[in-house]
Amino acid sequence: MELVSLKIDNRLVEIHPGATILEAAEKAGVNIPTLCYMKDINKVGACRICVVEVVGARNLAASCVTPVAQGMEVMTNTERVRQARRVNLELLLSDHDVECLTCIRNQNCELQKMAEMLGVRDVRFNGMRNLTPKDTSTPALVRDPQKCILCRRCVSVCDQVQSVEAIVPLSRGFKTVIGTQFNDPLLNSVCVQCGQCALVCPTGALTEREQVEDVWKALSEPGKHVVVQTAPAIRVSIGQEFGLEPGTVSTGQMVAGLKLLGFDRVMDTDFTADLTIMEEGSELIERLTTGGTLPMITSCSPGWIKFIEHFYPELTDHLSTCKSPQQMFGALAKTYYANKMKIDPADIVSVSIMPCTAKKFEANRPEMNSSGYKDVDYVLTTRELARMFKQAGIQLNKLHEEEYDAPLGISTGAGLIFGATGGVMEAALRTAYELVTQEELANVNFYNVRGMRGIKEAEVDLKGTKVRIAVAHTLANARKLLDKIKEGKAEYHFIEVMTCPGGCIGGGGQPIPTNLEIREKRIKGIYAGDQTMKLRKSHENPAVQQLYKEFLGKPLGEKSHHLLHTHYENRGRFKRAE
Amino acid sequence: MQLFRAHILICSGTGCHSFGSGSIKEVFKKELEKRGLDKEIKVVDTGCMGLCAYGPNVVVYPEGVLYCTVKVEDIQELVEEHFVKGRILKRLTYQEVSSQTLVQDYSSINFFKKQKRIALRNCGVINPESIKEYIARDGYFGLGEAVTRMEPFQVIEEIKKSGLRGRGGGGFPTGLKWEFAARAEGSPKYVVCNADEGDPGAFMDRSILEGDPHSVVEGMAIAAYAIGASKGFVYVRAEYPIAVKRLKLAIEEAKAMGLLGDNIFGAGFSFDLEVRLGAGAFVCGEETALLASIEGRRGEPRTRPPFPAASGLWGKPTIINNVETLANVPTIVRNGWSWFAEIGTEKSKGTKVFALAGKIKNNGLVEVPMGTKLGEVIYDIGGGIPGGKKFKAAQTGGPSGGCIPANHLNVPIDYESLTSLGTIMGSGGLIIMDEDTCMVDLAKFFLDFVKDESCGKCTPCRIGSTRMLEILDRITKGQGKEGDIELLLELGTQIKETALCGLGQTAPNPVISTIRYFRHEYEAHIRDKYCEASVCATMFNSPCQNTCPAGIDIPIYIDLIAQGKYKEAYDVMKNDNPLSVICGRVCHHPCEGRCNRAKLDESIAIRDLKRFATDMLLSEGDLPVPEVAESNGKKVAVVGSGPAGLTAAYYLRKAGYEVVVYEALPVAGGMLAVGIPEYRLPNDILQSEIKILEQMGVGIKTGVRVGQDVTLTQLKEDYDAIFLAVGAHKDQNLGIPGEKLRGVLSGIGLLRELNLGNSVDMEGKRIAVIGGGNVAMDVARSAIRKGAKEVHVVYRRTRDDMPAMNEEIEDAIKEGVKISYLASPTRILGKGGKVVGLGCIQCTLGDFDSSGRRKPVNVPGSEYVLEVDMVVPAIGQQVDGSYADGGFKLNTNNNGTFVVDPKTYATNVEGVFAGGDCVTGPDTVVTAIKAGKVAAQSIDKYLGGKGVYAPLTPERKLSAPILEEVRERVRMASLDKDERLAGFKEVELGFTEEEGLREAGRCLRCDIR
Repeated sequence: MELVSLKIDNRLVEIHPGATILEAAEKAGVNIPTLCYMKDINKVGACRICVVEVVGARNLAASCVTPVAQGMEVMTNTERVRQARRVNLELLLSDHDVECLTCIRNQNCELQKMAEMLGVRDVRFNGMRNLTPKDTSTPALVRDPQKCILCRRCVSVCDQVQSVEAIVPLSRGFKTVIGTQFNDPLLNSVCVQCGQCALVCPTGALTEREQVEDVWKALSEPGKHVVVQTAPAIRVSIGQEFGLEPGTVSTGQMVAGLKLLGFDRVMDTDFTADLTIMEEGSELIERLTTGGTLPMITSCSPGWIKFIEHFYPELTDHLSTCKSPQQMFGALAKTYYANKMKIDPADIVSVSIMPCTAKKFEANRPEMNSSGYKDVDYVLTTRELARMFKQAGIQLNKLHEEEYDAPLGISTGAGLIFGATGGVMEAALRTAYELVTQEELANVNFYNVRGMRGIKEAEVDLKGTKVRIAVAHTLANARKLLDKIKEGKAEYHFIEVMTCPGGCIGGGGQPIPTNLEIREKRIKGIYAGDQTMKLRKSHENPAVQQLYKEFLGKPLGEKSHHLLHTHYENRGRFKRAE
Repeated sequence: MQLFRAHILICSGTGCHSFGSGSIKEVFKKELEKRGLDKEIKVVDTGCMGLCAYGPNVVVYPEGVLYCTVKVEDIQELVEEHFVKGRILKRLTYQEVSSQTLVQDYSSINFFKKQKRIALRNCGVINPESIKEYIARDGYFGLGEAVTRMEPFQVIEEIKKSGLRGRGGGGFPTGLKWEFAARAEGSPKYVVCNADEGDPGAFMDRSILEGDPHSVVEGMAIAAYAIGASKGFVYVRAEYPIAVKRLKLAIEEAKAMGLLGDNIFGAGFSFDLEVRLGAGAFVCGEETALLASIEGRRGEPRTRPPFPAASGLWGKPTIINNVETLANVPTIVRNGWSWFAEIGTEKSKGTKVFALAGKIKNNGLVEVPMGTKLGEVIYDIGGGIPGGKKFKAAQTGGPSGGCIPANHLNVPIDYESLTSLGTIMGSGGLIIMDEDTCMVDLAKFFLDFVKDESCGKCTPCRIGSTRMLEILDRITKGQGKEGDIELLLELGTQIKETALCGLGQTAPNPVISTIRYFRHEYEAHIRDKYCEASVCATMFNSPCQNTCPAGIDIPIYIDLIAQGKYKEAYDVMKNDNPLSVICGRVCHHPCEGRCNRAKLDESIAIRDLKRFATDMLLSEGDLPVPEVAESNGKKVAVVGSGPAGLTAAYYLRKAGYEVVVYEALPVAGGMLAVGIPEYRLPNDILQSEIKILEQMGVGIKTGVRVGQDVTLTQLKEDYDAIFLAVGAHKDQNLGIPGEKLRGVLSGIGLLRELNLGNSVDMEGKRIAVIGGGNVAMDVARSAIRKGAKEVHVVYRRTRDDMPAMNEEIEDAIKEGVKISYLASPTRILGKGGKVVGLGCIQCTLGDFDSSGRRKPVNVPGSEYVLEVDMVVPAIGQQVDGSYADGGFKLNTNNNGTFVVDPKTYATNVEGVFAGGDCVTGPDTVVTAIKAGKVAAQSIDKYLGGKGVYAPLTPERKLSAPILEEVRERVRMASLDKDERLAGFKEVELGFTEEEGLREAGRCLRCDIR
């Protein structure tokens, strides 16, 4: 392909035809400020901050959407450009709830940074404001339209990455807002609560529903026994909030921090991840051997569960009936653990630290009370935990490493890799191989299910038993597999689906920013952690073995059925919540 | 085939339909049946004829008689007269504005004469629901020609050469667009017709679709053949149900005849057409948003490039043409490009359809050749401005365009000329605005529209347009701030430069354009909190008060009159106008022109009521003398005792100044005394008001000429301040041969002599008065009274253009004055040094001048001589500069008027102020009064005072119910002709008390909200 050559700020640059001015500028080492733009996902030209002067053109051009042309001359830093950017930012600020100091995104807000970067010292416009009230209808996410700058990133992510289209632009002109179908509360929508929107929101318009205060209260309430579980993906991302390189594994420091916060027991969701493998692996083998519904699909990602309930309710039989590790932990904490520790389950407060906003929704599903109590009381995202650390004056990187508490704190590398796309599949394969073949697996690394490819397929030979598998992350990719199943063209036995790009390490509750590069670093961290573990197969977890022995009996047994398995509902596309 | 002796064509377009044309058709049919005429006379539905203001329109052939505003109850009479008795029913025919003669064939009516109908060729001519009638008018011959005899590239070549440009407003060359799409790679290709017409007041596309849908279908098929498309969409608003219905019918008919569908004309070309309804979003007229909407997505624009010709519907090459553009296409293919290219201007070929809306007599649809002057469209075709109001501006291009003020009426309608004036051709909305339009309010209207219609995607359009609107809103509410105009311009520029699509990029145009041409209105709103057009209601109490230069609280005093409280009414007038008695007789009453009552029946007789109140007081004795404040020891000299001088003297004296008025003439009153004849303003009435000033202690020194009897330099030494109000008393020459002849007398000089009691012999003479102002009327009417045998007024323009008050013209005609319009004097003929005639030449109206009036142009060879004994030029006056003594130099303009600060009336010399005609040139009494008032105020401030005048703050409440039913205005009785001509007795006789009370009771009290 012949390259297009153009000049940006008098620097010659060559780039492929069809590229935008912004991409060319990047190549030329010229930084153009952007607000609505998101590489590969949101190229809509809405905010008009990235405008540049194209010599000879009547108007300024939005560099993020304007294609390059041969011989084009672009100026990115003229008075005309600076003035236009400033005025447009002034306009955005004039319709923004500028309560920065009390905003959840204070100091991590792109609008704030842009105002600083462009040197806006005065907003000369005031008047009408978008006064749409906050939407606090869901347990996971809060939408504050008064902080929305209509950049459309959330819309693009919801549509393109997740194929959910829960939120779209509504109305016209100044009254334009981002909202759901029929402008209903988010709870009544098909929103799967994945929080990818909150992850890309440049401002505080889309945020997790914060529960930090509730947890502080529980911690200080006398007589309460507060236990905490941490999801596999937290340990490779929390450091980012404290200036560490994304992907840094800071498990021990995180545990130490949690203990400092005053949790009575700090335990690990990795434990129930191992347990999940035992249950789910057994379920798969059962389905394979008894002619159950295939392919079987994993059920640990709550956004995914809500998605299939809305869009493919007729396919929920394909879902494994296993609860997610979070909910398995919750159920055990108030039964097995309570018994063992001789604590009245009514006095146990079960907190989980998740990379995920949908987990907040999941914990609130009415059926999640098999212990007789609400199995998981509070779900905090990675971001919320970081805030608690900061509020307590904890500097994570300065802490000495500490160990998880027993018994629910003991885990294997298989549990850990649940945090990355393909991890559940790989963990399952490690166990399944040994259970089916009764032979030791020489190489535990299944590289072909790892990585950021949207859909990964493989055939695994379990000594004659050929198992066809697929791994999908993002719901748009999951949708492709479901469509295949519907058409009867999916000849898989087992499918792993993770809602978020990259799996839980890219979850909606993770530190902001989370982008492709950061996701890849966290994945690296996860597999590095796995590599250092002594035990890397779930069925080797002694605590799991002990659990079966002391309490559950056997996988898929009666107790398991009661505590660790669940059912699904048909939510439909347009059904409104009660 | 059945033959008929006559056809009745009834417009069934949306306009006429809403006036009831549907039931008219039915009643016509029944009436004809009843009379057994239904076999001879056919009733036909047709499309828009254009005179929408006079709908329903009905044309009867073979005569071509146009009947307007036909009602169901007219039909029996119409059938009886026209078809039974063979007589045209005159009362329903269209009445030409300028002539009373009946025009039988409608195509000879001015409205139609200057039009050239190409896109509208079949509208109002055929039944739009009959493909046969379309074919009978050569329909589908263009398509036949194209597909059977031409290669696609030849069709494109034809369109390119014709010079056809996009009629949606952008003006992009149509052939070029087709060529891009033809060359673009990708398949299938699409043709889209943009019928998402959305500009406020625009209905061109709707009318074409309703009146001639096949022309668009044929145009699209030709376009499809040219670019290689096989599928087309018409994107039309759902709000156009008649258009949608007829379009769908046309598509079906065409399909049934094989003119759409597979293998058209057996030439192997296939084309299918589908109608897509838009939900009425204005932004969907933007092509990329339109495409998104057709695809079923939210109607939002995207950045171009890629242009639709390369990547349009579903990413395939697509051309999008507007309805009118496509309607032109078949005629070009059929008649050849050169036929089309001969019409119009060099760069803008063909015609353009406009929807005339707003303040124009012939509201409706017109099609004119490109290059037609805007003024011709407004005046010749549009019939001008109704209600005797002045044209102010025309808005083209709707909310994306701009306005064109009166001084550009000569602009030829073509793409480039309109662009150079800061507006655009647009799709054809042409909104006419008169003096009652506030340009800030207008800008607000369009911006309000745009801010709602913005798709909300990009920041500048979504928020910027709202912020601009908010700034405009505060300006119109009297809360404007210095810097707001600049902020509007800055924001407007940013929006234009950075908005994503055409809607946003043009959204600020109405604001920028009105600032460009009417910045003074913005400034008046911001600085003076004044809305000249009396639109921005928070800034004034009532339109009449707002319009009065003196700012008199008219509704309050009318209300007091209605309660019989004449003294209180007089006090209210007097607070703002110390010369109320005089103004009650001679004011040109601009207030009445803005009276809201006129929208119901007629304006209130405000001036007559003012006179009535003062008459009632005078009948009881002398007028009350106001209290004067204690002397402040400061002295002010006023030079000139005209209305400006007297007013300033009044206010200053009242505030405690010692005031001396110097008057060169032997009488006080200036132009009031010597410029206005006795029969309009009796001297005793004038003097009774001047006497009040003397009773207050104002010194009036008559017969003292400053510059001769006393020097200005001396006055400067003797007084603390000087107010110059010397008026404009010097005659202006005609500049034609013969002005030095005996028998040539200046108008103002003649009036002065008469008023001073000197004799001017006019007995038995024939007199020509030149000019069209009040002085000309005063001279003519005085001459009649002085026994002149013949009095001619010679005026260059038409009666509508005459600056004299209408009642003066009417009275002059009534009294026997003959007025020659459109006549210009060329020379004064003499014999023995004495006038024997006035050489005149006939004029016609030519181009428009900077005031928006048409310039008189001499008609060669039309000279004639008016045999007269006297010639009196009355074409204006100048300032007499003899006041100057060289002691100090006052800055003046070229015409001798003083240069003053527009707010304070201060001259360049400290302590010297000036106002009245000597600043403005010849102007009205009440304007001079305003000048005197403002000057008194600033002189007081200059001398350390706090202001001599305070506006009233009366309680605004109703004292009686408002009369909302029609009530005729009470006309003041006047002398009959004989009594008038017998001398100089006052003509107007005043109201009786009953009349006065009755008239006062008509006030609508606009000041109460």
